[in-house]
Amino acid sequence: MTEKSIKKVLQRHRLSGDCHMITFQLEFQLLEIQNEESLSSVITDLSIIMEPTEYSELSEFVSRAEERRDLFMFFRSLHFFVEWCEYRKRTFKRFKEKYPEAVHLSEGASSSCMGIRSPSRPGFELVIVWRIQIDEEGKVLPKLDLLTKVPLQALELDKNGVIETAPLSFRTLLGVLGIEATLESLIKSLHTEASN
Amino acid sequence: MELANTLSQDGESRRGVLAHLERLETQVSRCRKKLEEPQSAQAVESALGTRIHELRRLRDKLRAEVKQHQARVKASTTNVEPDQTLEITEQEFLKRKRENVKAILQAYRFTGISGKLTSRGVCVCIGTAFEGNLLDSYFVDLVMQKPPQIHHHSIPVFIPLEEISAKYLQTNIQHFLFTLCEYLNAYSGRKYQADRLQSDFAAFLAGPLQRNSLCNLLSFTYKAEPEGQSFPFCARLLYKDLTTTLPTDVTVTYQGTDALSTTREEQRAAHENLFFTKPLHQVFTSFASKGDKLDMSLVS
Repeated sequence: MTEKSIKKVLQRHRLSGDCHMITFQLEFQLLEIQNEESLSSVITDLSIIMEPTEYSELSEFVSRAEERRDLFMFFRSLHFFVEWCEYRKRTFKRFKEKYPEAVHLSEGASSSCMGIRSPSRPGFELVIVWRIQIDEEGKVLPKLDLLTKVPLQALELDKNGVIETAPLSFRTLLGVLGIEATLESLIKSLHTEASN
Repeated sequence: MELANTLSQDGESRRGVLAHLERLETQVSRCRKKLEEPQSAQAVESALGTRIHELRRLRDKLRAEVKQHQARVKASTTNVEPDQTLEITEQEFLKRKRENVKAILQAYRFTGISGKLTSRGVCVCIGTAFEGNLLDSYFVDLVMQKPPQIHHHSIPVFIPLEEISAKYLQTNIQHFLFTLCEYLNAYSGRKYQADRLQSDFAAFLAGPLQRNSLCNLLSFTYKAEPEGQSFPFCARLLYKDLTTTLPTDVTVTYQGTDALSTTREEQRAAHENLFFTKPLHQVFTSFASKGDKLDMSLVS
């Protein structure tokens, strides 16, 4: 008769740190079970606190990570999320500097929306909404949408329904030109019209 | 003096005598008290005396300790050179700093990506996990030259390492590592699901689970109730996106020759949806717990 010995060790850890503008503090428990054949390690409890809390996309992601006790996914997705945020900020800033009158950022460079106006054509506005979403599996994806603001008169003149199909055309353009080129082409289209 | 005063006045002689007697009485009681006082006073005195002894003893002890400490400090400052004391504290400081850095490096293991310096560059260790279960870890030994190269690694051959390194290794090492991390974690997760299906839910499988090494193509025949009379379904799961642990394509088909009843068709469609939305072993857990009544609330 062989005696089976199982050794269980429960560790508690606390990690705190920051990733660009986000600080986090995690506490988790790690259960290691050593039996004769193998060693298994399982995270049995995970709680995450993040600051700042204004990134609403993050709160859902955080609760999902806690639920799944997926520590690695949390860090991975956090990294990609922050990278995308920084890229969005840089892009918006660049356009604002290049076209100061046309580009309008309501909340500064960290906003998720960029408005394009033409100073000589008031009443027209293109708003690009650039959200950064984290899906069920922790994949970080940018999601861009176009909103149009057009005076009623112009709408009546729009026989080809350009305004109506604009959001869809925007998506197609994104696929062809990529984010930066698409945004720049939109700015230029409204901007050059103004100078005519 | 009092005696003289009271005896000199006739009218008050009786009062005087009484008063005198009173005085004598008080005197007696005072004397008695005084007689007693020494006894209690003695007791108090002896108590105080012992207390004083104790305090003196304590004071002497503390004095001795202070002297000792002073002597020690003097000895240490006189015996050691001034530079050396500085060195010792610096040594202490560096030791503590090194321990701190070691602790941080250890903590990085829990982020999934950790590394250590090598003579050539850095050896990065990528950990994988699925639903809190820590699974295999892999390493990539990088040579930090211009351009950086992979010296050797433990990445399985079916992970598109060449593709990923061609895209990112030269331009953005961090992105290279995180992308590799995504692929490896996804593979680990799929493998975990397939392993769990084979080990924990063998009773539900009507045949062997067919899987490829990348675990992104799974094919199996199963029954929702192991003991039931129902005919088995055939499931085919394809994970086109190698960075995901949920399938991108699911087909559940019916094996038999006769047409499916409406309930069976509903079941088939519901199962398909389940495979899309829940990890494989969790789908079978729900089969096991619900029996043959499929809870439609799971299908959402």
